[in-house]
Amino acid sequence: MRPNDRRYTETHEWVKLDGDTMLIGITDFAVRELSSGNESDLVYCDLPEPGRSVEAGETFGEIESVKAVSDLNAPVTGEVVDTNVKIEEHLEILAKDPWNDGWMIRIRPANKSLDGLMDAAAYEKFLSSKKH
Amino acid sequence: MTARKRWRLIRTFGASPEFNMGLDEALLEANTEPTLRVYTWKPDTLSLGYFQRLDEVPRAAQASALVRRITGGGAIHHVSELTFSLALSLEHPLYSGSVADSYRRVHAVVAKALNAFCGIDARLRGTDQLASDCDGTGMCFHQSTALDLVWGGRKGLGSAQRRKRGRVLHHGSIKLGASPLDSGVATVEAEAGAKSALDLAPFLVAAFESEWQLQLVPSVPDAAERDLARSLGARSRSKNFVERAARAPRRQGGLGLPGQDSNLE
Repeated sequence: MRPNDRRYTETHEWVKLDGDTMLIGITDFAVRELSSGNESDLVYCDLPEPGRSVEAGETFGEIESVKAVSDLNAPVTGEVVDTNVKIEEHLEILAKDPWNDGWMIRIRPANKSLDGLMDAAAYEKFLSSKKH
Repeated sequence: MTARKRWRLIRTFGASPEFNMGLDEALLEANTEPTLRVYTWKPDTLSLGYFQRLDEVPRAAQASALVRRITGGGAIHHVSELTFSLALSLEHPLYSGSVADSYRRVHAVVAKALNAFCGIDARLRGTDQLASDCDGTGMCFHQSTALDLVWGGRKGLGSAQRRKRGRVLHHGSIKLGASPLDSGVATVEAEAGAKSALDLAPFLVAAFESEWQLQLVPSVPDAAERDLARSLGARSRSKNFVERAARAPRRQGGLGLPGQDSNLE
């Protein structure tokens, strides 16, 4: 079971309320899809500078694995107040700990509602429905 | 009886670099039905990978035009080749599962097309060492991974993807003849004599149709797609975008095997 202290998107980002701000990252499922279980397949990550405003659903960064560039989408609207620059140098963090050390950006949200995003159970169900 | 799913087929031969890149990006952005494009370039063009720096490709200036793709990987000199693109939802079974799985499926179709076209026996590289691998050129065809399609011990297909909001754009380049910037790579000509992109394209279309039970319906971009293609295409060729200071790849060693550059195709 994935952590239930946060919400999830259909494009495999997570968002977690942390005081007045929110942390955003990508799920273990996203990491596995990009890297086929081989962390060295993740080759590059471009994250935004603090101060940038993002809308829910907007692209906030990009991640490149061997042979694919994928967009990272903001689950909520707000202003980026911090970026986990360690990720850009050490992408293996995403495979080792996508839920804590693997956070990507910290946002000051326009509001704290996470309505419309999936909880852990709904995300698990969503992933099950994708299996063929 | 199994109904064949209908996809769009867009054929544009001898189109400009900005049209080619703009239309592909427009097809990724548009919520349109699955689309296969087959195309060639005029003039010959070098396309940089999305995160690649221009100075990683020392001979880039030898191409007649420069663009930056929105897909990843290394540089490709688009001359003597058939280029194709796929734009569709990631929900389609062709792209379900991992990035690696999707490459295996698409490369199986291309291998079938090449075999039917001229008897080429193309296979995934696996753990083989390739004669076409070499460092320092920044060229896609000079770097390889286990998933690359090879024949004659050399890389013969350049591939790259962009995944955005539940959709994927997949680029593929099949070398028909040699390019001075891509020396030593596998070509159709080396195996089967001189062939044209116009002749190969129907075999690629037929392979997608038979392998995935499709009917590919000839189509042209609509007015909205053309408008979007024009603005996106202008960016692909703009000095700012082509020369942007994208950062260097983080590390070497793609697919966990020694001696490869994991960011280049």
